Amino acid sequence: MSEFHDDYPSYEHMAHHSEEEGKKTRKTLWRVFWYMLAITIFELVIGSMAPAQGWSGTLGLKVLFIGLTILKAGFIVMAFMHLGHEVKFFKYVVLAPYLIFMSYTIFIVLDEGIYSGDPENRTKVDPILIKQQEDLRAGHGAHHAGGEATPAHGTEHSAEEALH
Amino acid sequence: MSHSTEIDSKQAWDGGQSPFRVSYGKMMMWFFLISDALTFGGLLTSYGFIRHKYADVWPKAENVFTHFPFVEQHLPLAYVGLMTFILIMSSVTMVLAVEAGHRNDKKKVIVWMFWTIVGGATFVGSQAWEWYHFIVGTETGALRHVWSQELHTYVEETVYGANMTVNEYGVPQFANYFFFITGFHGFHVFSGVMINLIIFLNVLKGTYEKRGHYEMIEKVGLYWHFVDLVWVFVFTFFYLL
Repeated sequence: MSEFHDDYPSYEHMAHHSEEEGKKTRKTLWRVFWYMLAITIFELVIGSMAPAQGWSGTLGLKVLFIGLTILKAGFIVMAFMHLGHEVKFFKYVVLAPYLIFMSYTIFIVLDEGIYSGDPENRTKVDPILIKQQEDLRAGHGAHHAGGEATPAHGTEHSAEEALH
Repeated sequence: MSHSTEIDSKQAWDGGQSPFRVSYGKMMMWFFLISDALTFGGLLTSYGFIRHKYADVWPKAENVFTHFPFVEQHLPLAYVGLMTFILIMSSVTMVLAVEAGHRNDKKKVIVWMFWTIVGGATFVGSQAWEWYHFIVGTETGALRHVWSQELHTYVEETVYGANMTVNEYGVPQFANYFFFITGFHGFHVFSGVMINLIIFLNVLKGTYEKRGHYEMIEKVGLYWHFVDLVWVFVFTFFYLL
């Protein structure tokens, strides 16, 4: 390497470990993998059961999915990305700015986006599309979004009127 | 780590050493990932806002992504579940390559890096396949009001699949966000595969063996896990909720 040596410790060389330590690390990593696989399968099972059970869009389901996602994210960052084993101060340097900025972003969207729930405050949506989604939600033509594309009997106004 | 010298917290900031006990390159990779994570965070937050705005006409993922290769039946979300599995799996092979690098085990690094690249390439291919089916759409299509250039008015027309202006499954905004966010993520995966490939070739050449450490594997590993991390969120917000 370079002929200019200094007293600084070389952190690249510090990261070596022995065979036994390696065995232990691998065991932990595989365990984390099985946890993540189990969570993903659980999510998919719940997700596919949801429409029939009437859970779709319920607050409980949303909280469950987002909670499990954050749990998985924690596994990736702490175990796979090794942040859990870094110096405490470095952990904060990485996580604190991100969490502060994201909490602020989410707060500002929730706070300032209150008006967005009102259909008056948005671009007009094609009435055929509204009818299609209503039918889908009522359980007709599931699986096929296009399905029996209802010939515009939902439109009281003319198309032009509706879209302008 | 066994060989690391313990730092007295009182002297940590006195100079002559990194108070974080990480190398420059690894720290900078973390800082880059924070900024990239903020970009994805912003995109997903804005997705949430628009989705809330069009909640009543937002398509459900289980009605949109129903295809599975070589299978005629509709299997909602099965394929994306498989894609998620592939990406998590490639994250595991990556971290095993990092672990092998810590033991200077060149052979194992080669094996695990190889499988990571295979997993990443499979994921990008799967995403292309998913996009293809989303763009082509169903055989029946759906009726929409489409602007006619000749008549200067809206006419009813059957549309197939999704693009930036019409979407047979629901509001066009769904397709816009789907293309943008999964596209941005897919591009990250593609870059990751390319970077992994370059590092893989360096491992084969023995660059890191000569250097005495495999820290480069750790740095690209951080990027690769980040790609997996973003996918975990995209998967939840686009497909599960």
